[in-house]
Amino acid sequence: MIEIEARKEAASRTARLDAVFAALADPTRRAIIERLSRGDARVTEVAEPFHMSLAAVSKHIRVLEASGVVERHRKGRDHILSINTRSLDEVDGWIERTRCYWNERLDAMERLLRELKKNHKLGPKDRKRGSR
Amino acid sequence: MDRDETPGPIVQIRRRVRAGAEQIFDLWTKPDLMVRWMSPFPGAVYCKATCDLRPGGAFSLVTSSEESSREVSGTYVHIDRPRKLVFTWIGPLTNNVNTLVTVELNPRGDNETDLVLTHERLPTPAIHEGHTKGWGIILDHLAEAVGSGG
Repeated sequence: MIEIEARKEAASRTARLDAVFAALADPTRRAIIERLSRGDARVTEVAEPFHMSLAAVSKHIRVLEASGVVERHRKGRDHILSINTRSLDEVDGWIERTRCYWNERLDAMERLLRELKKNHKLGPKDRKRGSR
Repeated sequence: MDRDETPGPIVQIRRRVRAGAEQIFDLWTKPDLMVRWMSPFPGAVYCKATCDLRPGGAFSLVTSSEESSREVSGTYVHIDRPRKLVFTWIGPLTNNVNTLVTVELNPRGDNETDLVLTHERLPTPAIHEGHTKGWGIILDHLAEAVGSGG
């Protein structure tokens, strides 16, 4: 049972992370995040610099909200947008883990290359099971 | 860079490796060599690799230490020996979702090679659809899934 819960948790974390990556894939949305990283702003303020309709910008904002990257609160009649930095930390975490993983693997690859060099080229053992 | 088609953050690692491209390519694609460096457990008790090196062919790498075991697997997308290898990658590191790994090997003079490894996170449908198309659709799906999934 605990395992199933853990898997569910991993699955929802995956879905969240994928949503964040997808949200960041678009240049307009990255520009919106860049704007909000300088401070909270109203929807209309965020939309202003873009050469597109308010409706089009709103759609991008909704994707950002769905991914958890951007949050919206109401202040009187205004809708204020802000960045949820925790969602971006998750992305940083994935990038960091992946970079670390491959650096370790490539270190191991280079160690093996040195070992193979010492033993002079590939031995016959290494050729036998080559796959096509 | 073609930003519209780039699916978000990627991890890219570059290294100058002291070996020829062909030898490095073999390390990535021959099971008996794969098991000698790809395992994340230094003293792995058990490590087994299989691969079917053709586009659409699968590979897997199972490693175990005394306490735990893990498996990574994927499918070859593009094979251009010894310059380029592209494959999908699923494993614990990716929370068991499909990602895409590209290994490029650019020979540099005397027995040296520039290795560029790119690891991209792609939602599963992106890979099936060939990831230049349908990105907007995927976005919508994800937004819906996340929005309704709670």
